[in-house]
Amino acid sequence: MSKEAQMRATINQKLIEMGERERLKELLRAKLIECGWKDQLKAHCKDVIREKGLEHVTVEDLVAEITPKGRALVPDSVKKELLQRIKTFLAQHATL
Amino acid sequence: MKMEEMSLSGLDNSKLEAMAHEIYTDLIDDACLGLCFEVHRAVKCGYFLLDETDPESMKDFEIVDQPGVDIFGQVYNQWKNKECVCPNCNRSIAASRFAPHLEKCLGMGRNSSRIANRRIASSNNMNKSESDQEDNDDINDNDWSYGSEKKAKKRKSDKVFLHSLKQPGFVNPNSPRRSKSIKHKNGELSTGSSDPYKYTYNSGINYETLGPEELRSLLTTQCGVISEHTKKMCTRSLRCPQHTDEQRRTVRVFLLGPSALTELCSSRSPVFPGGRSLPEPEPSVENDSYDPSENQALMSRLQWDGSSDISPSDSASSKTSTNNSESKKTKKKKPHLGLSSGSGSGSGSSQQGLGSSSTKKKKPKLLAPPTPSIYNDIN
Repeated sequence: MSKEAQMRATINQKLIEMGERERLKELLRAKLIECGWKDQLKAHCKDVIREKGLEHVTVEDLVAEITPKGRALVPDSVKKELLQRIKTFLAQHATL
Repeated sequence: MKMEEMSLSGLDNSKLEAMAHEIYTDLIDDACLGLCFEVHRAVKCGYFLLDETDPESMKDFEIVDQPGVDIFGQVYNQWKNKECVCPNCNRSIAASRFAPHLEKCLGMGRNSSRIANRRIASSNNMNKSESDQEDNDDINDNDWSYGSEKKAKKRKSDKVFLHSLKQPGFVNPNSPRRSKSIKHKNGELSTGSSDPYKYTYNSGINYETLGPEELRSLLTTQCGVISEHTKKMCTRSLRCPQHTDEQRRTVRVFLLGPSALTELCSSRSPVFPGGRSLPEPEPSVENDSYDPSENQALMSRLQWDGSSDISPSDSASSKTSTNNSESKKTKKKKPHLGLSSGSGSGSGSSQQGLGSSSTKKKKPKLLAPPTPSIYNDIN
């Protein structure tokens, strides 16, 4: 593994071990619900389901449809804050 | 480790940023995935489309946006304007006031009994005070207790009144509070009474109708300050807090003439501006202002009580006065005859005016020529 990859792995490990990842996840979820991102995406899901038919929808269908749209719909403020937090974490722990 | 550290610190910011972005993307993907699972489960369990209704029902429950109506389409003040007829008194009452009205009308409920009790108490008070005011002069012995009784009753009824007053919007025309305030406004509501001894509930006294004798006797017992608004004399006590002693003195000068001050000073008037300096004049005049019987009683007292009245400094007031401080004040004032300010002497002497009045009669006499007679008697 390259150093970079190694480092990435280390960082991820640290994130999980320290519980920071869970915290970030919860924070992100809360913020997305607050800004209405979840409702928007649910409405999109309805369309997909109508399209595909209620009985025949699969998880893969949904994932394939939803994820790119989801990524695009995240508001900038949420994105910036999350990145800020991650960078802080990295700055603290990347040197260790 | 050092090598790794160096390599880590050697990472430039862009790489760090890239890493951060990667972590961020991971997190977003997790969120999306979570949503997908949730929706898929809802679809498969059949509760995904529950919050959708047919268009007809949707129209029924649409938000209403008309004026005068709330968002459900209901009128706001619908029941306010309606009137109900009370079964007890057969009056039409507004709906929102109906329940409290019924409570009072039927005499049930917590406040109605309280109000009734208070009304009874206040009407008792009014009856008693009016009927017994005329007997005041005769029942001198009972003055103190009587006054305190009246005060206590009034306080009680006031308390009850105040409790019931906490109800908003309740006004009682018979309230003792109202009558109390009326009383203290010097006779704004009364007609002038010609009889000075008739203490009407609301009055001051119209000084123009009184003769000089009546005025004098009035001024010896009452504050007497003439109110600017009503031109009536204050009927409160000589120590009434509404008026100063200067005012009382001014009134006496105005009503009785400056010469009258001497009479009043040597008698038991409350104001002694130069009072202490006038012990000499007219002990005879005093006799005119008092009942002859009183005078004789005084003379006899002077003779009998001569021993205790020896020193002019320790006048009879020291023995018989209710307040020791009063006598101290008089002691101080005697050397400062005519020097003390009107207010200072007025206040001291006004206290004495309330105390045993007979002592005041004695003191100036002691300072006056009669004192040598006392000495003679003893010697």
